[in-house]
Amino acid sequence: MKIGVFVLGFSFLLFHPAGSNAQQKKITVAVAANMQYAFAELKNEFEKNNDVKVNVVVGASGNLTRQIVQGAPFDVFISADTKYPGNIYEQGFAAEKPKVYARGALVLWTTKEGIQLNSDLHFLLSPKIRSIAIANPKIAPYGTAAVALLEKNSLVEDLKNKLVYGESISQTSQFIASGNADIGFTAKAVVLSTQMKNKGKWIELNAQDYPPILQAAVLLKHGLQKHTVAAQKFYEFLFSEKAKDIYKKYGYIN
Amino acid sequence: MIETAPIFLTLELAFLTTIILFFLAIPVANWLSHKKSILKTIAEVVVSLPLVLPPTVIGFYLLLAFSPANSFGKFLEHYFDIRLAFSFGGLLIGSVIYSLPFMVHPILSGLNSLPSSLEEASYSLGKTKMQTLFKVLLPNIKPSLLTGIVLTFAHTIGEFGVVLMIGGNIPGKTNVASIAVYDEVEALNYHNANVYAAVLVAISVTILFLLYFSNRKLQEVKIL
Repeated sequence: MKIGVFVLGFSFLLFHPAGSNAQQKKITVAVAANMQYAFAELKNEFEKNNDVKVNVVVGASGNLTRQIVQGAPFDVFISADTKYPGNIYEQGFAAEKPKVYARGALVLWTTKEGIQLNSDLHFLLSPKIRSIAIANPKIAPYGTAAVALLEKNSLVEDLKNKLVYGESISQTSQFIASGNADIGFTAKAVVLSTQMKNKGKWIELNAQDYPPILQAAVLLKHGLQKHTVAAQKFYEFLFSEKAKDIYKKYGYIN
Repeated sequence: MIETAPIFLTLELAFLTTIILFFLAIPVANWLSHKKSILKTIAEVVVSLPLVLPPTVIGFYLLLAFSPANSFGKFLEHYFDIRLAFSFGGLLIGSVIYSLPFMVHPILSGLNSLPSSLEEASYSLGKTKMQTLFKVLLPNIKPSLLTGIVLTFAHTIGEFGVVLMIGGNIPGKTNVASIAVYDEVEALNYHNANVYAAVLVAISVTILFLLYFSNRKLQEVKIL
């Protein structure tokens, strides 16, 4: 009996789906949190026209970078910035130099009643606004951009006690969406996503007022060696006209 | 750049959590140690839950509860002008829930290990329930009390998931050392991460060493 259970358990291990359909080509793409919504559409579009299954791993760019450098089996990395892919390239995990695929747009978003959004950010000083969520500027490019924007308006000192930090753009958005933060800075792609559309209100911030959020992708050595054709094809697809339309639809600046 | 604030914040959180839990756990454990009822079984389940639940589950529910968009959060904000998410107070509540079994369990098993004749003798000599608890029972389970205190303190130092979800990473308020390690690793500052991590290891080793060392001492002088 015990042996029977053991054999059963073992056979599950053997016939786990990961090992079963070796016929179909499969690639794994590491995707920065802000890109996850646009990526779902990119993935569908690519899978429709190619016999390749795309697996997605979503995370903060810094986290994914650490995983790649420690040998995670990812084929392509789509980052929220240029620094992390550059770092991967310098450490010799990239097949080629990273390339910018899109430019992110920053928005100010609230789900609270009674907060009037204004392009003059001094309205954030109002005592009605008690907490402002931004992504951690140390690790998230959208956070860096938000801090630069506040600095430009000389608001950093005055708002210091209101700022709360999300560890990625996803957590920052979650703070705002759940109403725990009154207002916050997030990616335009988040407020345009099907999940968050029509939740609260937002305004786009003037892209001239913060350093450009250039987002780069890189073909990884693992992809080039293990899934050469599929990985290369997908990487090229990221820079195609079709992909550019999708970026645009999700609020990225081309 | 290494800052000491996250370390002190961690220690402050652990210290306050331990004090609150100590005074909370004694009546709870005392109540649970007496005869069983279905209500007590339910209470035992509740007390033990944080032991098995992922910290993310606790964090998630706290986040929902704290949000001014929901009834509890709205109530706090409306009547007391308090907002618990992203505040040290919120972290403290999270830690107290998260570490609850680490204080209650040792005290409870200490009380259970005492022979009931001890309590009965005290009553028959005219002592009240309170006097019996504080003058007779508790002094006899010092090792258990110490274990509860030290485990709670150490467990709060090791807290991560709950803080990550409800903290908001505010320097000096909710950016505790375990979060600082995570941030530095994410930012690829392995040197800084190393420093914070080493300090945490040193603190934890010291605490556990003191626990086992003094428990041995207490065991030696124990009368029963």
